Amino acid sequence: MRTPTALDEQSLVDGLKRGDQSAYEQAVSEHTAGMLSVARFYVDPSTAEEIVQDCWVTVIDAIQRFESRSSLKTWLHRIVANRCKNRLRTSNREITTDFGEVLEPELDSRFKPSGRWSTPPKLRFEETADALMENGALSDCLDKHLGALPETQRSALILYEAHQHKSEDVCNILDVSASNLRVLLHRARQKIFLMVETFQETGEC
Amino acid sequence: MLMCRDLAGIASDYIDGELSFGQSVSVKMHLMMCKDCRSFIGNLRMSTRLMQGHSSAQADDEVIDRIRQRVSSALQERQPPSGPGQ
Repeated sequence: MRTPTALDEQSLVDGLKRGDQSAYEQAVSEHTAGMLSVARFYVDPSTAEEIVQDCWVTVIDAIQRFESRSSLKTWLHRIVANRCKNRLRTSNREITTDFGEVLEPELDSRFKPSGRWSTPPKLRFEETADALMENGALSDCLDKHLGALPETQRSALILYEAHQHKSEDVCNILDVSASNLRVLLHRARQKIFLMVETFQETGEC
Repeated sequence: MLMCRDLAGIASDYIDGELSFGQSVSVKMHLMMCKDCRSFIGNLRMSTRLMQGHSSAQADDEVIDRIRQRVSSALQERQPPSGPGQ
């Protein structure tokens, strides 16, 4: 969340280049969540924290070479992704990602063999997303379900939706094809949809 | 002819404008006739909007605090020593 005194991006970058403590505090507050989302695409949460920490220390020196050809956010996310890929290469590990079925099994089971709905969506709400989010219990439930998504789906969803990267940027940062990104996004969204539906219908998370 | 299950499979692509013109027309025609799929698309779209602006809730405050402290220490290590007569 930007505050009225928050620096715009160029001022922020200038502050970072000067080694200004308050600029670093603002940048860490604004960008660390996204960097963690990138790292968690590749590695477990504890390694992700370690990598993001190391990246910020690297940024202190590397920021002098940042020429604003991309946004600061995209630049930071690429640094994290590259560091994670190097780590995976060193440990000879690969990202395990399910790019198989497009439909979530729970949703898939709600169609007849003819392809029509047998159990159609139960939600008929007309509420806005803002009004829904004012329900603290739903917000907590969303947190819980986001936390339970496979890291690859969660990272893709957060980078695309919450951090508003273009799909092309997300593909570059995470090193996935456009079609694989579409699968990750769609599967994550279906899970969130199923969660909201259950919550609206039963009040249970 | 596009069936409800087919539409469910490409619903995110439709929402994000990633379908070809022909596919998009097929989806729109199906949606005109099928209230269940209209409901599904509407709800899926709402689910995506719930995600927007939700990044802060996903941030682990303790993790960010630890990172902030590490950055602060690293910055201080790089400060040139200040003293009289320099």
